[in-house]
This record gives sequence, structure tokens and C-alpha cells, in this order.
Amino acid sequence: MKLTTTLKDVQGTASRCLRDARCTYGSWPENHSLCPIYWHEPSFTFSAGGYLFLIMALLEKKIDFGQDTAEFAFSCTGCMACESNCRIIPCHAPHAGPLDIIRLLRSEVVKRGLIPQGAARKVYDEIQKRGDYGQVNSLEFPEKISRDDADTVVFAECAHIPAQKDIFEVVIKVLEKIGTPVSQFAEKGCCGSTLYDFGFWEQLEPLARANWEKMKALKGKKIVIVNPHCLEFMVKRYPEILPDYSSPQYQHMSELLADAFKDGKLKSKKGDKVKVTYHDPCYLGRGLNIYDAPREVLSSLGGVELVEMRRNREDSFCCGARTLGHYVPNLRAHTARERIEEFKDTGADLMITACAYCKDRFRKVLPAKEKERVKDLVELVDERT
Amino acid sequence: MSHKEARSEREAACQELRKAIGAEKVRDDEITLVTYGRVRHGFDRMWPFRKPCFVVFPETREDVIETLKIADRDKIPVTSVGTASIMLGTTEGGIILDQRRRDKILEINADSGYAVIEPGVSFDKLTSALRGTGFKCSVGTMPGPGTILGQALGRGSQSFTTRYLNVILDLEVVLPNGTVFTTGSSHFDGVGSHLRYGPYPDLAGLYTCAYGAMGVITKAAIRIHPVNEASRIHFAGFDTYSDAVDFVKDLVNHNIPEHTFIWNWHMYLTWPLAPADMESVMPEILESDIKNPPEGVPFNMVSSLLSGYKEQVEVYEKLCAKVAKKYHGRVISEEEMEERFPATMAGFNQQYGDFHYRESVHWSKGRFVGWYVFAEPKDMKDIEKFAVNEFAKYGKTINPVNYYSHPFDFGRSILLRISGFPDPTNTELRGEIMKKFEEMYDTALKKYRAVPIRPIGSKRAGTYMDVLRSIKKALDPNNILNRDGGLFEEGEL
Repeated sequence: MKLTTTLKDVQGTASRCLRDARCTYGSWPENHSLCPIYWHEPSFTFSAGGYLFLIMALLEKKIDFGQDTAEFAFSCTGCMACESNCRIIPCHAPHAGPLDIIRLLRSEVVKRGLIPQGAARKVYDEIQKRGDYGQVNSLEFPEKISRDDADTVVFAECAHIPAQKDIFEVVIKVLEKIGTPVSQFAEKGCCGSTLYDFGFWEQLEPLARANWEKMKALKGKKIVIVNPHCLEFMVKRYPEILPDYSSPQYQHMSELLADAFKDGKLKSKKGDKVKVTYHDPCYLGRGLNIYDAPREVLSSLGGVELVEMRRNREDSFCCGARTLGHYVPNLRAHTARERIEEFKDTGADLMITACAYCKDRFRKVLPAKEKERVKDLVELVDERT
Repeated sequence: MSHKEARSEREAACQELRKAIGAEKVRDDEITLVTYGRVRHGFDRMWPFRKPCFVVFPETREDVIETLKIADRDKIPVTSVGTASIMLGTTEGGIILDQRRRDKILEINADSGYAVIEPGVSFDKLTSALRGTGFKCSVGTMPGPGTILGQALGRGSQSFTTRYLNVILDLEVVLPNGTVFTTGSSHFDGVGSHLRYGPYPDLAGLYTCAYGAMGVITKAAIRIHPVNEASRIHFAGFDTYSDAVDFVKDLVNHNIPEHTFIWNWHMYLTWPLAPADMESVMPEILESDIKNPPEGVPFNMVSSLLSGYKEQVEVYEKLCAKVAKKYHGRVISEEEMEERFPATMAGFNQQYGDFHYRESVHWSKGRFVGWYVFAEPKDMKDIEKFAVNEFAKYGKTINPVNYYSHPFDFGRSILLRISGFPDPTNTELRGEIMKKFEEMYDTALKKYRAVPIRPIGSKRAGTYMDVLRSIKKALDPNNILNRDGGLFEEGEL
């Protein structure tokens, strides 16, 4: 969706909603409940349709913007279940999915200075203070693989985020094992996905533009991205935000690992038997349709048995990490706990994921002695190669 | 009572109800209230915005009873709703009783052939639960997430209902004073829900098309149908609706199809469209003239579900071909369907092969305006011409113009349901169309003897409505149930 889109622009589309809650559950015949907020609070209000109706009520001045509007707008987990399952809203101009329209609502509350306390407020304050978001950083690759002119470029923009830091350290170790020369892209410290999700749209275009100007020099190279949120954002949103954008070749880290096993560059050690389940991160799965690569990687690891959770692949259930509003108390924790219960139902020893936010969120709701039961795919690969 | 006093009384009622059934089942936050402020066919500016005082999400029958008792005592209007779009008006300051959380399938009776469900059960939920049981349910021409009862109580048309006008066997009803009763055979202790008609007048009929005005339904038994040894879909194309009607009438009079549908070409080409097809198929349809299909595209297609033993189905198929020829039709083979109309075929395969609705794709265009009537077969042929002509006058602004038609009660009556999709924000055009529909109902009734499906207003319905008003008064003396739009007109009671 264009950053210039207004609530008025989506009024017609929003009013096509049939209020049937199809946005909240997965494919027939399982019909798994997918939308965390609706699962928690089954009500039309807490479906994507409810957000659309709220927008129409705001436009008709049946309700005013207030802190509650912000808390509500930021309570959506952004899991994309509505984007995948609503057959109506995306079919009409401006051809935005329900989640994009919720992001638009967030941008409208942000414009009015209505920001929920917590992560969103921190980002907002940082932007207000520095006029920018992100933190320039760089990874230290071992000499063996570090080449400025390497064809494989690791996108390291968000390596500074606490949840991501540990994973990037392991990424470096695994890349060293693979041995392919790599360089890195570390310019502005953010791809912009957080700004987009949080509705900080005014600052977004300059950031994306600055990144794109630097990325132009990488033409013909493969950009490897570790965080699914960054990858999804750059694949889908950069073309909308930047008129002169032409997509480079992107690859998710799980795909790089799958290729490395296929090419014999990574070899599994003989490991103890372990039963694992794989949690499809929303932005890697529903966002980018990358379901097989992580599973191929797991099946390449000796001693690893993969068991699926009840809700998997396109019907995966969110971890709740991106719930930043407080309209529904404890939604974030309840969502993560629900998924942890599902993991435990499988009898698996470990839950593997491929998104730093998911790992972080799950670990936060697990007791101290069980936190190590959730790992990133790269971490498991490092342990077993 | 002043506005302020009324508000404070409702706040007290809200608190009392929270105590009685649990705070988590009652919401009165502003965002909830405004998103429930205009539920009729979505947030449609054609209809007045009426903010409820609170929204109740009952999880048990007792929750419904408690809600009604308090509402009746304080004379607070109650509108009972499920998921998907509804035909109801709401009342300012009233209670919305949203039954979506009551979604348990209580029984699947494979001996008699019925399912007992709570009001929040959707088509998707029941069709899924019936897999492997040897039964299927009547699939509504509405989105899969829509509640079965919502449609059945409005006597919406459903697949496999050629032989029946309605799927309901038995209803459990709660009256405003807390009385609970069932309308069919399960009224008697220990008896199942196999029979709608007992030794007394058919009260399920009173609740069908009553739009919640006579009581709140808390449980229902509905017909389910056996999946036979063999089944096939037979397709035949016709250049005129008249021939298509004669064809289906002949088939049902000879007990051939389990179910049969007449589709106009806009409808059969667009109802099963997935988002990707919206970009390939839909643009041409949006530009087309409803009255003139492209070369080789039949004006009407008839799909007939043939089922039974394998040998029986083979004979039926031959008979369908013979009868189609008799009425100038052409058999369209499955291979031809797959090749020429793959999206359409995918839809049919799901509906008649897996016996479920193809998600919500039918409604890719979203909200619509529809005109629906029943008539005798001979009259319906004229009505179709009349309705298509009227819709065609709006040109491309309401494309696609989708209609389907099918026989009920072995062909005694034919349904025509015709819809268009004008821009939902163009209230002027939509207002004009709604006005036109009223004129069309008058013409259809007077000139073509057609009966509308939906209420047409007390003035037109005469003494029938007088009797209903008397019944309403007896069952709901404080007039709290679904009083503004639905069975009775706004402000009529």
C-alpha cells in the first residue's frame, strides 16, 4: 500500500466486509483458529473486520481518535492470518490486505501522537530524538570468509537488536563452516519494517530510499536476510515505496542453509536423537511462503526427528511478539503460551523457529529451566554440524 | 424516563448481567459498541447507525436466559445475531446478543440423518465435522463462515434442498420471560429431533423468517443428507431461462436429481473466483452486457447433482442428456468444463464433491444488493425476463449481475435470486436501486404472482401481519426482541 494512502481511500473497500470472520481462521477442513486477538476474544470487533468497521466509524465521526484507538490498533499481532484468508478486501482498490489497512490506522493514530507505552513508544521517542531509526552496526566475519567483493551479502541491519544479536553470532559461525565468501550490508541499521508496522510512515520513505541507494551497488549479488520481517518488507514493500526500485536477489537464511546441505558444504554430525517441532514464523511462512526450506534443513540434521504442531505452515499460529497495544490485557503472553502448549502437545524436546522475535517471545513465557527448549534454526544447525 | 436515567439504568443492567454470567461475556467499551453500531449488511450507510448499550457473548443457554430476563424486566431491546451479514436493524441503546461463541455441534445422528447444533455453528464447521460420517449438510449460498441457523431461519436457499424448502427440524427457543421450549419431536423427554411435525401446529414455522422477533433460538436440529455410493454433477447449457426451467422441472418431476441449480452466465463464471481469477475473469465480466454472453458461453447453465448406486447414477446421466435435448439444451461434459471454465469447475467440485462451500470466494465482490422471489414455474419464466431487464438498465455499474434459480418442493415453486454489486459507498445509487426493488416486488406480485422471500412491509402483508403482531404481543409483551427491522418495520411495534 502506498504511504500516501488515507483512511478515506480504504472506506469503500472496508465497507465490502461481510463481517463473517473468515479472516480469523485457516483453511477448510481444519478451520484452525489463527487470529490471536479473535481467538482470545471471539467478537466481531476483534477480527480484521472489526478494525475495518472502526475505521468507518472514525470516518463517520461516530467515535473520536483517542488513546483507546491507539491501544486497539496496536493490539493486532500482525500475524497475517487475515491477509491470507480474506478473499474480499484485497480484491478491491487500493488492493491492500486487512493488515495493511490496520497499519494505516496505526499511522493515523501516530500522526495524532497517540502511541501505546512500551516498544512502540520507545521507537517513537527515538525517532523524535534522532530523526531516524536504527543503529549502524557491523558484523565481524572471520578472515576466512570475509570478502568485500563477495557475491553473497549478509543483510546485517538489525543485528544490533537484542533479540537478534545472539542469532547473528551463530550465523557467523555457520557461515564460516560453509566457507562461502561473504560481505555485509550494514548501513542505516534498519530496513524500515518496524517503522512500517508501527505506523511511523513519515520517517519510512527516507530510510528505505537511503538503503536502496546503497543497495544499488549490490546488483547481481545475493542478499541473505536472517530476519523474516526484513525480508518480507523488502520483497513486498520496497517496490511500493520506491518507484525506481528493482528487486535484487534475496534469500532467507534457511534457504541458504538448505542449499548448503544440498551442495555438501554443510554436513551434519552424528547427534543424539532429538524430537523437534518447527514453528513457522508468520512473516516467513504466510508472508513469503517459505515453508519447505527450514524443514529440509531439519531433515538434513542427523538424529533430528521433526513432528508437526497441530497448526503449521500456512495455518501456523502466531507467537504474539508484535502485539504492542494493551487493549486486550495479556494478549501477548497468552498467545505465546497457547503456542507453547501446542508445542508441548507434540511431545517434542525442542521448538525450532526462524525468527528472532518468535524465539524471544516464547522464551519469555517459559520458566527458566525450559527456556533452552526454544532455539533458532541456525543455532540447532550450529550445534549439529 | 430521561436519557440520563435510561443510560444509568442500562449501566446498572450491564453490571448485573456481568455478575450473573461473567464479566468476560459482556462488553460495553466504546470500540465494541461502534463496531456493532451498524450490523445490517455490514457498515452500510444506507441504514441508520445505532449504538448498542452493550454486547453480550453468551456461552450457554442459561446466559441467554439471564440476558433476556434482565432485558425484559428493564425493557431493553435485544437483537440476536450470528456471524456474516444479517438482515436486521438494531436499536439505539439496545443489547446485541452475539451468539458466535455458542458453536458446538451437539450431535450428529447418522441413523435418522440430522445434526443438533448451537446457533453459532458455521457451514465450514459442520461440513468439516461431517466428513467421514457418510453425511453431508445443505450448503448455503453464503460464505462458509456464515452461521447455518442465520441462513436457515431466513429461509435462504441451500443446495440439496430441491426436495425441501427448509433444513430445520427442531428449534430450542427462549422467550423473554425465560420460558424454554422446543418446537419438534425433541420436545418430549428422551425423544430425538427427527421429526419437525408432531401432534401440534408447526411452531418451527413461526420462527422461520421471524428474524428473531418471536424468541431467541438457542439450539437447532437440521437435516443432513447421506453421501451415496456414487455421485456426479451433470452440466447442461441453455440459451434461454425458459428452457432451463422446463428442464429442471422435468428432472425433478421424474425424481432424478438430488439437487439442481440454474445459474446465469455471470454467476457461474464468477461465483467461485479466487483472488487471482479476479484479475483474469472478472474484468471482462464487469464490462459485459448481462443479456449477451460471448459466443459459446451458455446464457444459463444447469448443474444437477445425481446420486445413488453407481448403476442408478449412470442411468440418471443418460436421462439428463435426453431431457436436455428435449428442451434445446446441450450437455457440457466435465472435460469441457475443466478446459473452458476451470475456476467454475473447481467450485462445483468442492460444493458437490467435498460437500462444502468454497470458502468465501463467492463473495469476492463483497456486499451486494439482491432481489429474491418465489413463483410458480410458468410465472418465473416471465419474472426472470423482467428482472434481468431491470438490472440491465443499470448497465456496468452493478456488474456482475448474478442470479441463480432452483426448484423447491419437487418443483412446485421456483426461486429466483438476483444480485448486483454496485459500489458500496455510492449510497445514492444504492438508494435508487433499493427503491427500484420495492417497485419490482410490487410488479412481481401483482403482475406475475411472485412471492418475495423477505418481509415486504405490513401494509402489503395485510391480515397476515395482524396475526403475527398478536402472536408477538403474547410472546414478547414488552417488545424487546429484534423489533426494528426484520419481520416488523422500524417503529411499527
